Amino acid sequence: MIQNTRGANFLRPLINAYNPLPIHGITAIPGKISGALMLVNAITDAVPLIHGPVGCAFQRKINPFRPHASFYETPCTDMRDLEVVYGGEEKLRQGIKETYEKYHPALIVVITTCASDLIGDDFKSVIEGIKGDIGCEVIYTAGDFVGKSKPIGYQDALYAITDQMLCEGLEKGEIVKNDCSVNIITLPIHNAALKTAEMASVLREMGIKINKICFDHTTVKDLYALSKAELTITDYPLAGIRLMKEKAGVDYYATVGLEKYRERKEPELLSPYGIEGSARVFMEIAKRMGKEGEAEEVIERRKKIAVEKVSGIKKDLEGKTVAYSGMGCLHSLEQQMLLRDVGINPGLVIYKTSGLGLLLSMDAMEEVRNITVEWARKYGSEPEVLINPTTKEEIKAMKEKRVDLAIVSSLNNAVHEYHKEGIRTFNREDLMLHYQRIGFECPVELALRLREALKEPQKRSPLLCMLEYDTLRVNLTPEWAKLADIFMSLRGGVVGDRC
Amino acid sequence: MNNEKIKEREGLVYDPTQDCKLVGAARALSGVKDAITIVHARPGCHCGVLLLRALGSNQNDIRIVSSAFRASEMIYGAEGKLTDAIRLSYKHFKPSLIAVLNCSAPAIMGDDVEGVVLAMKEEIPAEVFSLSTGGYEGPAWIGYEETLAELTHFMVESEKAENSVNIIGFKQDEIKAYSDLSEIERMLNSQGITVNSVLTNSNFDEIKKAPEASLNIVLGGDGLESAKIMKERFDVPYVVTPYPFGLNNSIEFLKRVSRGLNKQIDQEFISTEKEAIKERIERVFLFLEGIYDTSVAVVGDGGRAFDLAKFLSDELGFGIKVLAITSKNYSTQDREKEDYFESLLIEPDRFEMNRELKTKGVEMIFGSSMEKKLAYELGAPLVRIFYPVLDEVSISDSPYAGFKGTIQLTENIINAVISNYAGIIDAD
Repeated sequence: MIQNTRGANFLRPLINAYNPLPIHGITAIPGKISGALMLVNAITDAVPLIHGPVGCAFQRKINPFRPHASFYETPCTDMRDLEVVYGGEEKLRQGIKETYEKYHPALIVVITTCASDLIGDDFKSVIEGIKGDIGCEVIYTAGDFVGKSKPIGYQDALYAITDQMLCEGLEKGEIVKNDCSVNIITLPIHNAALKTAEMASVLREMGIKINKICFDHTTVKDLYALSKAELTITDYPLAGIRLMKEKAGVDYYATVGLEKYRERKEPELLSPYGIEGSARVFMEIAKRMGKEGEAEEVIERRKKIAVEKVSGIKKDLEGKTVAYSGMGCLHSLEQQMLLRDVGINPGLVIYKTSGLGLLLSMDAMEEVRNITVEWARKYGSEPEVLINPTTKEEIKAMKEKRVDLAIVSSLNNAVHEYHKEGIRTFNREDLMLHYQRIGFECPVELALRLREALKEPQKRSPLLCMLEYDTLRVNLTPEWAKLADIFMSLRGGVVGDRC
Repeated sequence: MNNEKIKEREGLVYDPTQDCKLVGAARALSGVKDAITIVHARPGCHCGVLLLRALGSNQNDIRIVSSAFRASEMIYGAEGKLTDAIRLSYKHFKPSLIAVLNCSAPAIMGDDVEGVVLAMKEEIPAEVFSLSTGGYEGPAWIGYEETLAELTHFMVESEKAENSVNIIGFKQDEIKAYSDLSEIERMLNSQGITVNSVLTNSNFDEIKKAPEASLNIVLGGDGLESAKIMKERFDVPYVVTPYPFGLNNSIEFLKRVSRGLNKQIDQEFISTEKEAIKERIERVFLFLEGIYDTSVAVVGDGGRAFDLAKFLSDELGFGIKVLAITSKNYSTQDREKEDYFESLLIEPDRFEMNRELKTKGVEMIFGSSMEKKLAYELGAPLVRIFYPVLDEVSISDSPYAGFKGTIQLTENIINAVISNYAGIIDAD
C-alpha cells in the first residue's frame, strides 16, 4: 500500500479537479501577467504592482496554472482614460511609493500591461528615479526580454530579477562563492520541495551542497544568494538562468537535454526520469562539479536499492498486456520507467495529436511518434499503433489484445468509457502532475501504483458516459471542441508557437 | 442611521474588488443564450473571461471566443483576426447575435472595429455589434449596464401582455442563479404573473420581444439604465425591487411587483410560505438562538449585498460589522443611508478592506471566492454568495432567493458555523 503524505492527500483531488480545463493552448492561452504573477507569488516577500487598469489586476487573480490557488494580492495603478492619453508614469511613480508604504515588501515587481505598454510609459526611468526613495528593490517586467521563450510572463519576470536585481552592477570577481554548491530551479507550478527532495539528498550524499532551491518559500535574500552557486540545475535553460551564467558566472545544467538532443538525436537525452535516466543526470551533474568518484558509489548504491525494490514488484506485472498513450519525449514515462525499469510489454500504443497542433509541427509530431515506437521495439515489443482513433476503435483494439491495463491520459482518452467496458486504467496525467520526478524512488512508486491499478475494483457505470463527447477531442463536449477548433484556426498557422 | 461612516478608497494603489467593463459586458452577454461573445484582445483578457465562466457551474455553455491576436498584430492591426473570429463563430455556432468586445489593446491601437462589424453584417445572417470595453474605460457594472442598454436597441414595439413581466439584472453566472430564478418565477406565478423575458437569461428573440411585458422588475437596481430606456421607448414601466434574500425581502419583492402591476397581493400564498419557513426553522431553533448576534461582514456587489445584509441583520439577528460594496450600481447611493450595518465600504481596496475586517472582530464572512484567504486568516467561515464563486458549484435545486431560499440560506449558514474546523484545536 502506498502511503501518501498528508499534503499530497489533500492536494491531489484539488489539483485534479481543475486539470481538465482546456486552456493552455487548447481554447485559450494565459497572458504574460499570469506568468509573471506565478513567479512573484512564489517569492514570499515580494509584491506585484500591475501597471494597468483594474481588470488586469482583478481577472488575473485567477491563477490559470493553479486555479485552486488564486493570486490574492494584485495591487494595480488603476489606469484610466486620462493616463492612456497623458501617460501613466506619474501614477506609476506614486503607485510604487504607496505599494511600499502599504505592504513593506522586500521587492516590488512592476508588471506592465497592454495599456501601459502601448502608450509608451518609460518604466525604467520611473523605477530608477524612485528606487532611492523607498526601502526595497523595484524591478519591472514587460514581456519583452525573452523573445518567445514560454511561459513568457514567468521567463520574463525571472529574467528581470536576474538582470535588474541580481546582476545589476555585479562584477564576477565580487561574488563570494558557496563552494561546490548548486541551485535547483524549477517552475513554481511544480511542487518544488516534494519533487526535488530526493535530488537534493542524492547530491548532498555526493558532497555537493545545495545553495538554494527555487521556488520553495523563496525570499528575496534567497534570490540574492543564487549567484553564490557554481551550477544551476533546471528543467530547461530559461532565459534568466542563461543570463545568470553570462553575468554572474553561474553555469547551468538542463535536466531535459533538448539542446543536446537537437545535435545528437538521442531520445534518451530527453528523459531524465527512471533509474537509468536519473543515474545519467546525477553523473553528469557530478562531472560538472568534479565529484565523479563520490557520485559513482552513491548512484550505484541507490540504483541497487531501487532495482531490488522494483524487481519484487515486477513479478506481479509480468505477463500483463498493457496499452499506453504515447507522448514520446518531454514527459517520457514510457521509455525510462515503463519499459526499462518496470518491464511492461505494450501491446498497443495510442497517439492523440488533436491537442498538439499549436505546440508541435507535423514533423515534430512524427518524430515523437517514431521515438516511442522505437523505444518499444528496443525493449522487445512490437505494439500495434493507433493514430487518432475514436474511442470505439481504441476499445475494440484493447479487447482484441486482451489489455489488462490502459496507461493513458485522462486528458486525451475517454477513461470513463474504458471503465464501462471493463478495462482498467492507470492515469499517467496523475503521475506526471503529482509524483514524476528525477530520482530512484519514482520508478519504485510507479511500479507500486501500477500494481495497485491492476487490482482496483472495476468502475462499472460512470455518470460521465451519459454525456456526448467530441469524437477527436474525447474529453471535450462538442461545444468546447468548437471553441478549440476556432482557437486553433485563429492562433495556428502562424510561425512562432511551435517547435 | 447608526452606521459609523462610509469609507471610500484612501490611496491610489488599488487591489481591486471589482472587475473591468469587459467582464460586466461578457456577463450580460452570456445570458443571451444564442449569442457569441468575441473578446477582441490579447490572449490574457480572453483567458481571464473564459476562466471566470468555466470555473463556475456553466461548463456546458461557454460561447466565448477570442480574436487571439499576437504581438505582431499590435503593430499592424488585428482587424483581420477579428474578421476571421466573427466568420468562424458564425460557421461553428450559427448564433443569432455576435457581440464584439473591444478591449484595451485594440482600442489604443485604433483598430476599426466598427468598420469590421459593418462589413460582417453584410456577410453573415446574424446581428453583430461591438462595445468599447477597454479596461481603463470603467468598471464591470458600467459594462453590464451599457450592454443591457445596447440590447434594447434590438427590441421591437409589441402589444402588451397583461400581468407579464421582464426580469432585469439577473446574472446567470451567480452561485445558485438558476435555482434563484426558478424560485422568483414560482413566487411571481403564485400571484398570477408570468415572466416574459429575462435580461439576461433568454434567447435573442425573446429579448427582442421584451417590450411585450407590462412591467420591468429591476433586481437590486442592476440594469436600471436599460429599464429607463425601455420606459422611454416602449412605455414599459419599471420597479426596482430588493434581491429577495430572506422572508422580508421576498414579501417586499412581491409587494413592489404587485403594486407596479396594480394588483392585489395574494396574502394566502405568503401565509403558506411563512408557515413553511416557520416549520423548518423550528427544527434548528437552538442553533439559531446560538448564532444570534454573530459579528459578520458582507462583501459583495451593490445589487445584492445590501439585501443580504438586511436579511442577516433583521431576520437572523447578526451584527453587520462591515458591509463592503465591491461593485456599485445606479441605486447604490440611495441605499448608503440604510441603517443595518456599522461600517460601509464602497468599492474598497482589498488591502484596506481586509484591514477593516480584521479590526472589526468579524466572525463570519459572506462573500466570494476572493475572500477565501482572508477567511482562512481570520479562522472565520466563508459563505459564498457573491460573484465570482470559483471554488464551489451549484447544480441542485436549492435557491438562496425567495421563500425557499430563506430556508436554504439559513441551513447553509448554520452548517458553515458548526462545521468550521479552522483553529478549533488551538482555540480549545
